[in-house]
Amino acid sequence: MNDMKKELAGSVILLAEDEETLAIGLEYNLEEEGYNVLRAGDGLKALSLFESNDVDLVVLDIMLPHLDGFGVAEQIREQSPQVPILMLTARTSAEDRVHGLEIGADDYLAKPFHLKELLLRIQGMLNRKKWYKESIAENAKFGFGDIEVDFGTLIADVRGDKKRLTPLEATLIRYLSNNPGRIIPREELLQKVWHIISDMETRTVDNFIMRLRKYFEPDPSAPIYFRSVRGAGYLFTPDGKSP
Amino acid sequence: MRRRRWVSPILVFTIAQLAWFALLGLWIYWYVSNYMIFIEVGERISPQFVFSTVNIALLVGGIVLLMAVAMGLALIFSRLNEQLKLNKMYDSFIANVTHELKSPLASIQLYLETLGSREVPPSRRDEFINLMLRDSQRLNALISSILEISGLEDKKKVYKQEFYRADELVRSLVAETREQYNLNNNALHIAGSADCICRVDWRSMKVVLNNLVDNAIKYTAGELHIEVGISSQAGKFIIEVRDRGIGILEEDHKEIFKKFRRVANPDSPTVKGTGLGLYWVREIIRHHRGKISVDSAGLTRGTTFRIELPTYPANKLETTLPAKKETNA
Repeated sequence: MNDMKKELAGSVILLAEDEETLAIGLEYNLEEEGYNVLRAGDGLKALSLFESNDVDLVVLDIMLPHLDGFGVAEQIREQSPQVPILMLTARTSAEDRVHGLEIGADDYLAKPFHLKELLLRIQGMLNRKKWYKESIAENAKFGFGDIEVDFGTLIADVRGDKKRLTPLEATLIRYLSNNPGRIIPREELLQKVWHIISDMETRTVDNFIMRLRKYFEPDPSAPIYFRSVRGAGYLFTPDGKSP
Repeated sequence: MRRRRWVSPILVFTIAQLAWFALLGLWIYWYVSNYMIFIEVGERISPQFVFSTVNIALLVGGIVLLMAVAMGLALIFSRLNEQLKLNKMYDSFIANVTHELKSPLASIQLYLETLGSREVPPSRRDEFINLMLRDSQRLNALISSILEISGLEDKKKVYKQEFYRADELVRSLVAETREQYNLNNNALHIAGSADCICRVDWRSMKVVLNNLVDNAIKYTAGELHIEVGISSQAGKFIIEVRDRGIGILEEDHKEIFKKFRRVANPDSPTVKGTGLGLYWVREIIRHHRGKISVDSAGLTRGTTFRIELPTYPANKLETTLPAKKETNA
């Protein structure tokens, strides 16, 4: 644990939060953990700080003046497909969560939150980012059917058509590609890919699978790669053949 | 989804009304044609038979009842429509209040957990405790504003209206607000004078000024500058609160006083608020038999809130201005 902390010390965290009292407390805690913190009180300031610094992780409030958290996340994704984004917000509707994750946020924490949980999630995300970087260094590309996914640039080549993936979509494909031909329950995907333990609706997983089908399947309504198994979960068949 | 919910009651209402009137038409047609038959046939069969006036009364009574039902339906429909609109605003109000409640709560929880799990140096500990106090005050202010407004609407709120010299009243209100928001003379100052007597509930007027100043602070991006202009004109006591903030579009001038209403402006330096503040201000001024309006030359041009209160003859002044009252707003 301590070794892990040491390895991650010095990581630069961009903290975009307009509630000053909360921002001061978060900054103190993140600095105590050994991170370098950049603080922004509105969306535009957050973007300019992101552009002028080498940021390792973004903690992002949704309700920000000038440009809201969704807008910030979208623009950050344009520039950097891989930097982890943790959304932090008092809004708790399922739509907000799904929207945030679709735009490319990696995780979502509702206010009020527990300090330990926040710190663990940040640590987890930084570790995942490191793991992802290392794992793609040796095996950056994955092909199935006539599709090739580049996990470094997060670009998928679908029969000559280039598609940009969000980090979450890429991680989902990565997880499926490590488990071909096995029926994977939705809960497992939530836990392993989203790192969420089931308080999130499993519909989120369905939405993401649906998007992967739209990207990659020759006929999304009759999937041959990303199959559903009624009542059990999903089955990835990279050869496109029925099991 | 929302649109459907909005359209379908109108459709149902229209169809229901058409059905009523069609029924009415059929009924009259049936009655008239029967009446003709009665007149023609009745005389031949039995000359004694007289078409009963009771039947005409029945027809007229039926029509009246039917009209009453139709009108009742229209009334219910219009109430339902209002309710639907209110519901929509209420949803956004709940979202805003949730945000306003959870943000200070999140920060209090964060500091408590921080103090519980870390060795925090004493200077920072004091800072954190002060921040927590600030947040708990914010929570208290929000909760009491919601309670006060509902008291106001239920007419349970009791006003302690007393007579004051207008400029002394404003001076004392401004002095307290300045202290409360930690503002200097330049940021918040009084201009002009008003030699008249007004009758107000001191605490409510404090709420009015605090809300207007709070808005000016929230919606000023650069240096804060608020002027409270006072004057008396034609038997009216006029208070004008001017700021140099981001201003308000003309089409929103009426909107901002509506309950739960918040106008969107991407240049706004803040996203906080419940949509209750100006509604509350307007209700208080109304209870004082006054008027409030807003003027702004447009976005980035500042905002002026103008309050008109009735004045009273000087001999009404029997109470003196209290030197200091508790602030509780």
